[in-house]
Amino acid sequence: MSEEALVAVELRKQYTTRGSPPIDALRGVSLRIAKGERVALLGRNGAGKTTFLRIASTLLVPSSGSVHVFGHDAIADPDSVRPLLAVVPQEGKPFFHLTPREQVYSYLRARGFARESARAQSESALEQMGLLEVADRLSITLSGGQRQRTMVATVIATEAPIMFLDEPTIGMDPFARREVWASLRRLTQRGSTILLTTHYLDEAENLAQRLSIIERGRVLVEGSGEELKRRAGGTLRVSIVGGARLGPELESFGTVVPDGEAVHVITSPEQVQELLGLTLRAKLPTTVGPVTLEEAFLRVVGRSIDSEG
Amino acid sequence: MALRFGGGTRAFALTELRVQLHEGIAIATSMIVQVVLLIFVVILAPSLLSYALIGAVVYSVFQLGPRIQNEAAFIRIDHKLNELYHASSLTAEGYFLGLSIGVLLAYLPPVVILLVLVEVIVPLSLLSAAVLAGVIAAVWLFTSSLGYVISTLFRDMRAIWPYSSLLTNVFGVLPPVFYPIGFLPGYWHPIALAIPSSAAVILVEAAQGGLVHLAPAELLFAGTALSVEAIGLFAFALYWARRTARES
Repeated sequence: MSEEALVAVELRKQYTTRGSPPIDALRGVSLRIAKGERVALLGRNGAGKTTFLRIASTLLVPSSGSVHVFGHDAIADPDSVRPLLAVVPQEGKPFFHLTPREQVYSYLRARGFARESARAQSESALEQMGLLEVADRLSITLSGGQRQRTMVATVIATEAPIMFLDEPTIGMDPFARREVWASLRRLTQRGSTILLTTHYLDEAENLAQRLSIIERGRVLVEGSGEELKRRAGGTLRVSIVGGARLGPELESFGTVVPDGEAVHVITSPEQVQELLGLTLRAKLPTTVGPVTLEEAFLRVVGRSIDSEG
Repeated sequence: MALRFGGGTRAFALTELRVQLHEGIAIATSMIVQVVLLIFVVILAPSLLSYALIGAVVYSVFQLGPRIQNEAAFIRIDHKLNELYHASSLTAEGYFLGLSIGVLLAYLPPVVILLVLVEVIVPLSLLSAAVLAGVIAAVWLFTSSLGYVISTLFRDMRAIWPYSSLLTNVFGVLPPVFYPIGFLPGYWHPIALAIPSSAAVILVEAAQGGLVHLAPAELLFAGTALSVEAIGLFAFALYWARRTARES
């Protein structure tokens, strides 16, 4: 099997609906994912994340471009790709009239697992997702978060070589989210590859080794969380209460973001000392902290929106 | 066209069966229309009971199609489970067939009860029993395929519901399924013979002898129409299942 789990080149997708102007959901997205990697796609609603995931997982035909999964052509020969992948669909729900135990086990059987391994792997997945206590309750009686955990358990139980998870932890509590993260880390340690989308930027930062921000059907930036923060204009955030008094002078230190009475300056460690000197002289309360991925995301996507008007 | 069902079809059929069996009330009430009609016939026109019983069996089998239509649409639109299965080693054809077999198995007991009633009230000859088995298979192929194909055409569950009653009326109520074809004016006969549900009933009635009096050419037409429609639509549904496993 190829060492490159996924290679997407210049993927384009245009949706056409009668009576409406066409929508360019993807406008030339290229992405390479190595075997065993965990990659997160970030982007605003409608940016093209789900479209990309659905094309890569053989559920949608692109308008142009190519996708290869472990060397197999996912567009021309989806049958050769499908046994290698598993998908948590966005807003997917388990069968309401199956229990989580039945749901996971029966899915593994439908994928061709032998009875014993299906039983063992479904129990393991249910345990990892913290579902053993409710494993014999019908899914219709479970909470939204428990149903979502059932969907994730169904997919991770497959231990498929590549897994696509579209907002896998939506509706989960912080404990459950961490259980999902731990399970996904374990899977990649065993050789599986993970591509997920999420709107939780802490999740992306904690879980993914590489992030890709998509905006209006294009990849804006790619890299680790730290790299994305650097691209946002700096890795430190200096928050100055009443900073507006300092005027345009602040702009020489980095990106200035007004926030009520305060002003945040996204800057580099090299410039922090000089900036702090300025705020101390002006006797303005000042705090320094790391830039969060969310701030970097807002900066990167915001710049793109500004430049495209 | 290569048929690719794969080993997972049976497992998926059992999954669907298990899901359906939780709807015990739906299964039990699936016979209400037929039973009520049979009661009316017993009271109002007992001489037509044989026709109505054979019709009830075929009608019950035909009703599997609208059930498949609603189930396939529900698990695709509401649950997105089609994506879970399509992006796996279970083939698109296996998914369609597994779903259809699961629903068939769940709703088989009411059909069996009706078959027992037929055997008790209208003892079937060996020939008519064989014809009945054949037409049940053909009607199942036709209705499952029709239900599945229709289920893929909509994005909103509410838009699909009217089609169940449309199918029921077009294929189950209007044509001579519960009543003899002789009640229809002659110029309607070709249409009745071409509709799979009424063709199926007429073929069994003809095989039983004495229930229907049609020319051999008309029976040949009914048999050919039913076979072509069932096999043709089933082949199309297999193609369609594969095609719609991936949106374009």
